[in-house]
Amino acid sequence: MKKLLAAAFAASLTIASASPSFAADSGKVGVVVKIGGIPWFNAMNAGIDEQAEKLGVDATMIGPTSADPALQVRAIEDLIAQGVKVIGVVPNDAKVLEPVLQKAKDNNIIVLTHESPSQKGATWDFELASAQGFGEAHGKLLAEKMGGKGEYAVFVGSLTGPLHNAWADAAIEYITENYPDMKVVGDRYGVAEDVDKSRSTALDLMSAHPDLKGFMAFGSQGPIGAGRAIQERRMIGNVFVVGPSSPGQSRRLIKSGALAGGFMWNPKQAGEVFVTLADKLMKGEKIEDGETIEGLGVVHPDFENRNIIVDQLVAINKSTVDKLAAMGL
Amino acid sequence: MRKMINSNATEVALIGVLLLIGIFLSLSTDRFLTLGNVFDLLNTSAVNIIFAVGLLVVLIAGGIDISFAVAASVVQYITALALGAIGGGNWAIGLIIAGSVGILFGAFNAFFIHYFRIISIVVTIATFNIYFGMLMFLTGGVSIYDLPDWLVTPVILFEHQAANGSWSEITLPSLIMVGCVLATWLLITRTTTGRQIIAFGDNPEGARRFGINIAAMQFIAFGWLGLMSGIAGLVQAHYVQEVVPNALYGRELDVLAAVVLGGARLGGGRGTVLGCVLGVLLISVTQNGLNLLGVSPYAFKMIIGAIILAAITLSNTGLERLLPVFANKGEAK
Repeated sequence: MKKLLAAAFAASLTIASASPSFAADSGKVGVVVKIGGIPWFNAMNAGIDEQAEKLGVDATMIGPTSADPALQVRAIEDLIAQGVKVIGVVPNDAKVLEPVLQKAKDNNIIVLTHESPSQKGATWDFELASAQGFGEAHGKLLAEKMGGKGEYAVFVGSLTGPLHNAWADAAIEYITENYPDMKVVGDRYGVAEDVDKSRSTALDLMSAHPDLKGFMAFGSQGPIGAGRAIQERRMIGNVFVVGPSSPGQSRRLIKSGALAGGFMWNPKQAGEVFVTLADKLMKGEKIEDGETIEGLGVVHPDFENRNIIVDQLVAINKSTVDKLAAMGL
Repeated sequence: MRKMINSNATEVALIGVLLLIGIFLSLSTDRFLTLGNVFDLLNTSAVNIIFAVGLLVVLIAGGIDISFAVAASVVQYITALALGAIGGGNWAIGLIIAGSVGILFGAFNAFFIHYFRIISIVVTIATFNIYFGMLMFLTGGVSIYDLPDWLVTPVILFEHQAANGSWSEITLPSLIMVGCVLATWLLITRTTTGRQIIAFGDNPEGARRFGINIAAMQFIAFGWLGLMSGIAGLVQAHYVQEVVPNALYGRELDVLAAVVLGGARLGGGRGTVLGCVLGVLLISVTQNGLNLLGVSPYAFKMIIGAIILAAITLSNTGLERLLPVFANKGEAK
């Protein structure tokens, strides 16, 4: 057994040491996202491609066919085997990815993560919105729409996804503190990456709680599904849905009022930052407190938890949605 | 009576479990038995039921297909693009395009299964990957939001405003679902072709010696599933008002579980439309009930799994073993 391990270790060392010569000077960058084929990550892909061309970096995005952490693990294993220099990840499940990210680091690969603050195994994690700021912005918007009182329900992408739950925590805490007449019903529902499930759950919840006045949905399809349910029940103006959504997809719903609005950050910008940071770190540069990085602005990195968090929120509402949709988001 | 219960054990067991859940939910929540909720259940289950009756025919014919859900996604794309190209269209044209393209995909599966004698699960795993890979590659994962107006406008067949002012409605997907269910029921129980499919699924060699056209059976079974998938795809695009490449990915296993739960045998030769519809409904009602009861979403999957297991145990074991009263007294210890 020991021999086998040693052999495997030696093999991994040879691969690791062989890779730089194979990949020439600049090195390859592979970014594994949650799921391929949805507008959000298509925009991120565009950002990665554009910035890669601009900086002359060989960067590609890999989108698994479903939002399954196991598929991400496999994709990262493949990248390690290919001998890339930088692996970027937008994790589906922070815990599941820990061992494989550690393995990448052990192979001297730089690991960048996004939408997963304090990810174990990451060289750096970057966020274009702080969980606190993003959650509070949505909590405040929902409270304004609901007039500060009534029942509301919360959707997240998955019950274990770290970021959606952190937003939900921040939003609920903000509402509880500032609007004591607002009450959240049930636990949070892990349906917001699936439009059909979001729709049927929203319909069920409106049946179960006739006085329900709002939905807060964190997850790419959650606001869309809940908005469709509001349309179906003809509750536009009575029940309000807030949440980050893809403007091209939500444009019709926002214009009709079925979706009250939300905030987002620009996934294209996130794609660009992946490449910018990868390029910077591959060149051996360090990230300093107070320096300005393209796409992030002035940064104040958390060196202990390896987080770079900035607040670059973009509001999605009736007046901004057309412009955002025209950007292909 | 006993004979009837025994020969339709699955359906009886499913109706029993559904009734139990229904009675429990009506007593414990005041929302389950409302018009609005029943309509929601119908509207949200419609697409899965259309898929399920299609898959049922393939299972009865002794095959299995896991490619139908992604094939439906491809159909959505082709239909959306074709409708764009002809500049609009209407429901009849949409259904004809979606249905025909669906049948082509089904026939493609049947062709390999019949002429090259490959097991259906192997063929459909391959075509599953081909269809989905082709879709992602050719579309680059780009969704279509600009669909013709007739397709994205909800068609309300019946509407009702409750005393508290909330609206409930039955929409077009439910009607299309009823049409598909009836057509499949007629095919299986009222036509010679249907009986031949059952005979073929039960004993392919026997059916061949008896003079049944085996090729026709394969093409009809997979073609029927293709037709249903095409229709289901169009209906799904209708109510979500967009075409997203991976919206139906993964649906095949949910549907397969529901159909098998409904008593269709994986080996072929057995399965009823009623059981299949009940299978889908049992899962939807459970999900709906959990939401109405306010059960923590953390417990959802566990409870749904337990109910599937309970229903299958009940239908496989039969009443005689569970309730020894029915059994022959002499044999019971």
